[in-house]
Amino acid sequence: MDRLQYVALMIACLVLTLPLEFAFGARVWRQPKRLIRSVLPVALFFLVWDMWATNRGDWGFNPQYTIGWTLPGGMVVEEILFFTAIPICTLLTLEAVRNMLAGTTPLQRWLRER
Amino acid sequence: MPIYPVLAVLAAIVVVALELAHFRSGIFRRRSYWVAMAIVLGFMIVVDGWLTKLSAPIVFYNDANTSGIRPVWDILLEEYAYAFALLTMVILLWDRSAPSTTDTARPS
Repeated sequence: MDRLQYVALMIACLVLTLPLEFAFGARVWRQPKRLIRSVLPVALFFLVWDMWATNRGDWGFNPQYTIGWTLPGGMVVEEILFFTAIPICTLLTLEAVRNMLAGTTPLQRWLRER
Repeated sequence: MPIYPVLAVLAAIVVVALELAHFRSGIFRRRSYWVAMAIVLGFMIVVDGWLTKLSAPIVFYNDANTSGIRPVWDILLEEYAYAFALLTMVILLWDRSAPSTTDTARPS
């Protein structure tokens, strides 16, 4: 079970931020093309950096807490999940905050109408 | 000179320069950006703290290539510059491709 730690942490981040999409009207998951256009280029850049740094031995990944699938150079596949999940969580937070400040989240509307 | 802090700070400077010279979204003048980044910072300390804690690290570093400065929960100081660069760059691209028919990128 310990080997799922990294994967589980990333999935937990995605699950915990999911309500922002609906209760706070973030509309991040519901704009998949825009999401891919923003996350993919940045993720690719950081993954290349990651592979280079892992290969150089600047950093590494504990086999005890990772599922064991690695890319050339020693980078674990969990890193792909990291550079996808964390930016998505950030965009959800940003859009939720924007809606909150504007008073337009479904949650705020519902509270007003009560 | 350790390479990770140098590259992390360089990445952060490049992203700021891209905003000022190219994107010009004005995001650094918006309250929503700073509020969101403050919230993300809170969660980053939990997630990154869990990933890099020295007691049972999921990700470990070659100390010769880091600053070695770990002020909060063993998180390296340069990780904050790294996270700023990564997440601000994603936000800049996200706002650039905002649909013109809606006001998703409205200032607030």
